[in-house]
Amino acid sequence: MSTDTVAPAAAKPLSLRRILPPIVTGQEIVLLGVLVILWVLLGIFTPAFLTPASIGPLLVQVAPIALIGVGMTFVIITAGIDVSVAAMIMVSAVTTARMLVAFDIPAIAAVLVAIVIGAALGAINGFLIAYGRVHPIIITFGTANLFQWLGLRVFDSSTVNGIPSTLEFFGRGGAGSTLGVPHSFAIAVIAVAAAWWFLRYAKAGRNLYAIGGNQNAARLAGIKVQPRLVWVYVVTGALAGLAACMVIATGTATLDQSVGSGKELQVIAAVVIGGTSILGGRGSVVGTLLGAILVQTVVSGVTQLGWPTQLGFLFVGIFILVAVGTDLIRERTRRRA
Amino acid sequence: MTAVTTPTTADQRREPSRFRDWITGGALKDRAVLLLALIVVLLVAMAILDGIGLTSGRFNSDYLASTLIAYVPLALLALAELFVITSGRGGIDLSVGSMVSLTGIVFAMLYQQVGLPLAVAVVLAVAFGALLGAVNGFLTAYLGYPALITTLATFYAYRSIALVVSEQRPISGPEISEFYSAAKAIELPVIGGGLPLVPLGVFTFLLPVAIVAWFVLNRTTYGRKLYAIGTNDTAAQWAGIDTRRTRMMAYVTAGAIAGLVGVYTVAQFASARPDAGTSGSGMALPAITIAVLGGVAITGGIGRLSGILLAALLIVWLNASILLVVPGNEGAQAQLLALGVVLLGASLLSNATIRRRQGGLAKPLSVPGTAPGAK
Repeated sequence: MSTDTVAPAAAKPLSLRRILPPIVTGQEIVLLGVLVILWVLLGIFTPAFLTPASIGPLLVQVAPIALIGVGMTFVIITAGIDVSVAAMIMVSAVTTARMLVAFDIPAIAAVLVAIVIGAALGAINGFLIAYGRVHPIIITFGTANLFQWLGLRVFDSSTVNGIPSTLEFFGRGGAGSTLGVPHSFAIAVIAVAAAWWFLRYAKAGRNLYAIGGNQNAARLAGIKVQPRLVWVYVVTGALAGLAACMVIATGTATLDQSVGSGKELQVIAAVVIGGTSILGGRGSVVGTLLGAILVQTVVSGVTQLGWPTQLGFLFVGIFILVAVGTDLIRERTRRRA
Repeated sequence: MTAVTTPTTADQRREPSRFRDWITGGALKDRAVLLLALIVVLLVAMAILDGIGLTSGRFNSDYLASTLIAYVPLALLALAELFVITSGRGGIDLSVGSMVSLTGIVFAMLYQQVGLPLAVAVVLAVAFGALLGAVNGFLTAYLGYPALITTLATFYAYRSIALVVSEQRPISGPEISEFYSAAKAIELPVIGGGLPLVPLGVFTFLLPVAIVAWFVLNRTTYGRKLYAIGTNDTAAQWAGIDTRRTRMMAYVTAGAIAGLVGVYTVAQFASARPDAGTSGSGMALPAITIAVLGGVAITGGIGRLSGILLAALLIVWLNASILLVVPGNEGAQAQLLALGVVLLGASLLSNATIRRRQGGLAKPLSVPGTAPGAK
């Protein structure tokens, strides 16, 4: 009996996934392929696209999305969601910017302030979600409103002007990159690498998948579900804080009240295009990074082709559907096999 | 003698406990009663503040009635979310705001630029909204996409199409300016005089939809099926319900309602704005918020029309009250705070009561149509 059931599995033909290193799996290969095709096509049709002058700023745009995407991937793996990240960016960015203007604090202090604020807001989300046991989307809708109010209070119904270039390390200009690689993008890649290792090899990382797969089963298996959930939202908040520094550095010396607006949907789009299941229990941060690059490529590419900018978001929508659709088909065939 | 007196003492003993049951078990868990109480508290508090003279304007029935112009789209979109969220399996519609923008543009083009009669343009706009909803419904119900993904994608797609088609410019013209009268405040023909001026949209847009929706949800087999698939998809399927078609229809309904709101916003703004439903934080998030505040369970199968209408009323009047107490920019900011606090408070509170009841293995939250309090 047992040999019968084992034999077919052993005789399985060598699939692509078994040959390639485990860092890229099905969805990521597809994404990588789509990205290569897109970049080649855009390179052909818009000669300016494949130049450092074009790719550098694109990677700078990708960085905050990919960075928060790491936290959002954790959140969605646990079958949660966080729609308050845009508001968290806003609070972090405006508070940090105001401190830069008023006290001219050094860059390290500014980054710490931003991260601590983000983490604190994330902790509010985490505690309410873990211990209030209300669906995360409801909690984060609620806290998004609270955070936005908080941010507007700090703004004091005006823009923040004359922000010093203290954070230029994260910026778009010459000081913001080394050997053509923007620092902010390098930071995002490092965060993705660390998160990849964490999800794959750390016990706490594996636990996140267990929680997303079946929270009750995870609890019965001895996983401390609630502290883990709090931690996941705190990380997302902290990353949103760091991303706020990048947003300050990328913009002009002025910060207005629309800062961060719409970022939550962009981040969620990057994560789901990257193959993370919105139902929880499955997902990868490498996919999220690729998803973030894809979204930004589409948006920038449409502009460079001279099409209406807004058309880019139509393609983003289609990409979301195609990416998730291929994942659904894979899931179905996997279940049948 | 004893045989007669025993039951009466038992009855006397049951009487106060039944009242306590109603307070702790029924009234607090019945979202409509809770919301009504909150509205009364709000009105009383504002009347007192007005009496002391702390408000910047008069807080009276005319003011309350005039704010209903914002009530119509909010209540309608929350109603759309009621259908979709109740259908279960993670049902949610993030794209309603984009559908409002897009159908508004389509309506304005048909009415202003093509020159169709008003009624035809309205019907076509609503049908177009239903078509947009059908795309959501098909992907979700038949292809198995999670609703959050589907409607996130169509949120981008529809918003983009609305902006591209209109070249990011509002559409206006003489016909549309005239159509503005559809949203203005009127005196009711028969009972007019004594009542404050109520925006016409309440009667032309909200009431008909609310009545039809109430009938569909509570008095038709479709309504029963919708609650059934939301409560337990598998069980509903085994009971012979075409779950996919039922779910699809919920999204189509949401799209049609969004189309109607699109027409309404054209009347309200006297022009078709390509970002009518998506500017700022958009219309979808407040709609979902109001639906949840109104007692719609995000897990599906639970939700009533009364909760939606009262929750939207509470939010609109709360916002209007805040503007009277905290005028200007700070007032607009305080509205965000109030919405967040009310949403978090209501959801945490209802969660606590549900959990306490589940601990006692009592019946699940009452579904409309079943007799409340029936054991």
